[in-house]
Amino acid sequence: MKKLIENKLILVPILIIISFFIGTFIAISSINSSTQNNEFSIKNGNWIVNPKMDLKDSYQRAYISRIGVFALDEKEALYFLSSKDNMGKNLSSDFDYEITGNPPAGRYWSYTLYGGDYYLVNNKTDVYNINKENFEKNHPITISSTKKNSNWLPSGNEKQFHITLRLYNPDKEVYNNLDSIELPLIKRIEK
Amino acid sequence: MKKIFFYLLFLLLMSFGSYQLTINYIPKLVYEVFHYKIEKNQNIKDNEIKHFDIPSDQSRDVVMPNPDFLYSVSFYDLSKKDLNLKGNMPDSSYWSVSFYKPNTINWYVKNDQEFNTNKLDLKLSLNNNLKENTIKSPVEKGFMIVRILVEKKDKESLDYYKSLQKSIVIK
Repeated sequence: MKKLIENKLILVPILIIISFFIGTFIAISSINSSTQNNEFSIKNGNWIVNPKMDLKDSYQRAYISRIGVFALDEKEALYFLSSKDNMGKNLSSDFDYEITGNPPAGRYWSYTLYGGDYYLVNNKTDVYNINKENFEKNHPITISSTKKNSNWLPSGNEKQFHITLRLYNPDKEVYNNLDSIELPLIKRIEK
Repeated sequence: MKKIFFYLLFLLLMSFGSYQLTINYIPKLVYEVFHYKIEKNQNIKDNEIKHFDIPSDQSRDVVMPNPDFLYSVSFYDLSKKDLNLKGNMPDSSYWSVSFYKPNTINWYVKNDQEFNTNKLDLKLSLNNNLKENTIKSPVEKGFMIVRILVEKKDKESLDYYKSLQKSIVIK
């Protein structure tokens, strides 16, 4: 040990290699942890929404590149994500859900379902979302693995799925009050 | 004892440097992986445009794709020449053009209401240029996305939107 400490030619490269692994490991672990805990996202009920995209901080930039690469800024689009119902339980195709309440004000909105892997939920009908255009007024939006007559969002066979509410060109009052605006509820209903 | 303290301090500082380097490099790594994946899977080169169909449950290029959009993408390189983006766009529904740096930061976005015309004609340059339709890129290389909202998905509407999408070119 004493010899090793005396020999800079061997010790310095070893320390550089060790420090490289330590630094890289801590950086990747902390970004993964922030991603899982949605550390920088704004929370509103069971929804989380993307923070400002114009990020100067390199740590937040790394975080955003992991969760929403090539997303738009908050004036152009907002992405509300929920993985839980109004009781705080994970969303699953074992249950049916109803979305109640209106989306926040904006030019265009849509509800899209993603599986546990964050890709579109597999279904034979090619129905992936309910949006401002295909929404049937005066009928609730129902998330279910079995076909419904109106505003049906198929949940396929996903043990855990996620819902994204997208809002294009949101009103200024919306993106300035993301943590307090009223957002729709996702209620579990009888299957 | 003094030497051990010195080496521990060296280890600490080097680890911090490595941490900072990794944090700064993650967005670039995400971008490079995406660049490689698209180039390999879609067979497109820099300054070429690729028109994607509406995403489905089989789409695996990016997570959480929007099934309401037709996407056209390009990796641009301004080292040799300026680029001109042209196309016929929808009259009233949403469309937008956005540019990203290789660290995935969105440095430009403009939508149909801001363009105020359905004729897309945009010049991308590294130089300051006073022409109205020219924008100065802060980076030599980057990524571009044109998004077209498909409001109705019946065959006739879809064919209409796709024909507009195909009119988008980069020269």
